[in-house]
Amino acid sequence: MAIATQLILNGLIAGAIYALVASGFSLIYSVTKFMHLAHGAILALGAYLMYTFAVLLGLNFWLAILLTLICSSFAGVLMDQLVYKRLRKRKASGAVLLIASIALVTLVSSLILAFWGADVKTIPMKNPVFDFLGARVTQIQIIIIVTSIVLLLGLWLLMKKTKLGKAMRAVADNKDVAQTVGINPERIYTYTFIIGSFLAGVAGILIGIEQNLYPTMGLSLIIKGFTGAVIGSLASVPGAVLGSFILGLVENIGIWWLPSGYKDAIAFVLLFVFLLIRPSGLLGVKVREV
Amino acid sequence: MAFINYLIHLGILVCIYSVLTVSLNLAVGFTGLLNLGHVGFFGIGAYSSALLAVAGFPIWLSILCGALLAGIAGILLSLPTMRLKGDYLALATLGFSFILGSVARNWTDVTRGALGIPGIPKIVKGNVEFLIVVAIIAVISYLIFWKLSRSRFGKTCEAIRDDELAAKMLGKDTFMHKIAALGISAFFAGLGGALFAHYITFIDPSIFGLGDLILLFSMLIVGGLASVKGSAIGTIIIFLLPEPLRFIGFPSSVLGPAREIIFALILLLILIYKPRGIVGKVDLA
Repeated sequence: MAIATQLILNGLIAGAIYALVASGFSLIYSVTKFMHLAHGAILALGAYLMYTFAVLLGLNFWLAILLTLICSSFAGVLMDQLVYKRLRKRKASGAVLLIASIALVTLVSSLILAFWGADVKTIPMKNPVFDFLGARVTQIQIIIIVTSIVLLLGLWLLMKKTKLGKAMRAVADNKDVAQTVGINPERIYTYTFIIGSFLAGVAGILIGIEQNLYPTMGLSLIIKGFTGAVIGSLASVPGAVLGSFILGLVENIGIWWLPSGYKDAIAFVLLFVFLLIRPSGLLGVKVREV
Repeated sequence: MAFINYLIHLGILVCIYSVLTVSLNLAVGFTGLLNLGHVGFFGIGAYSSALLAVAGFPIWLSILCGALLAGIAGILLSLPTMRLKGDYLALATLGFSFILGSVARNWTDVTRGALGIPGIPKIVKGNVEFLIVVAIIAVISYLIFWKLSRSRFGKTCEAIRDDELAAKMLGKDTFMHKIAALGISAFFAGLGGALFAHYITFIDPSIFGLGDLILLFSMLIVGGLASVKGSAIGTIIIFLLPEPLRFIGFPSSVLGPAREIIFALILLLILIYKPRGIVGKVDLA
């Protein structure tokens, strides 16, 4: 019983992390209609910046968080302006943007490798362990779950209640119509990248505190993020969140039967199966032409 | 002398990678299948051939088996993914590479996991001899792909890329053509992988990574899609460009990442400023 509780709890914690990654990714996908895999690179950058500000420079913890979030939002916008915007201008296909985003992923992970080195880094923090129905849960893990719930609720309110959210949904729905009613899509793209990369920055900080930092962490996490998004629905943030929790649970309950090294393989197989059988995801209503 | 050995080493890598690039071009450039599983086929060829040869199989038979297994994997991958297009196909094939990488990492009884497989036998003793062998294989592969691109088969593949429905209405079996294109492409990727394994004599799961994928796509797109000649040009250019770095005297801990940074930057620049590469005929769709 205690083991089952522990596995489910681990699944929920993993799901909360994946949901943070997937929400930003699918937000950007739903508005801009391409797969920004370099979202994972922003996340890794966030983790390493947090390490730099908090550990190497020894800044105040909250100041370090603030600086990291500003930098990661900025990095996302920079990627959009320098690469994606130019590609959009010459009407490049989604495939071109996808390849460009993979190039950005390796670019950033190589830069991290060059600047910070290959050795694994940690951000030390006090982390007492609590007992929950016979399962172990750490303080950081509780913070992760609470933060992700608060942020995802905030994102939902932003999308539903604010003018900016409405404009984002309008562009997501139909860019040309949105343009005719006076919404500037390029500006909305910029806001989308700010918000999405902010979420990636938060995810980077939380993951950096809970786990270790290594140069290719962005790739590992974005794979989980987009798998979660594909399971739920690429183009809907609630779908992506649902899919991420399913992924986290399946992965962690799956190691009941399989060696834990196969955790990643479970995710890839899920991704593969969903792409083949239900590419629009569990919550996808619109059947996209594939 | 050291410099000549180094040139021979570069020559061998250019030959092996040009086979990989030109075969990738058949799927991506000619047939319009955005296949990110090429490193997966490369890895299948490398691992199967290495394991067979280490187990005592004759080397050429091992290499052939590696290439054939990769080809079969290509056909098997193409069957379920046939309905997918563009970025969805890209994600599914990328997932395929990751699954293989994960298997290579975890199936420790066979692949030794992250430790990799050392002591893979060489095909011939010296590097000069090996250069001659791979050069012959590369030239033969090029002739095959050149012939293919001019054949009825190649033209039909291009028709599928440009307008699949129209090709279907003209009575072309688009399904079989796509399967064949991916199968042939995978066979040669496996061949390249096997040659690579028997040259370096050591492989580990990192060959399934993104680094090689970016390298292959840089070569493919710099040279140009749907051009056999372009793949050769692209491979040579991309291999030679970062080489001056070696002589500036960067430490090797910086050299590795610096090469990857250069490849990624070249790919980004070419996508933005010259999307058809040097002699490419079509855009990436």
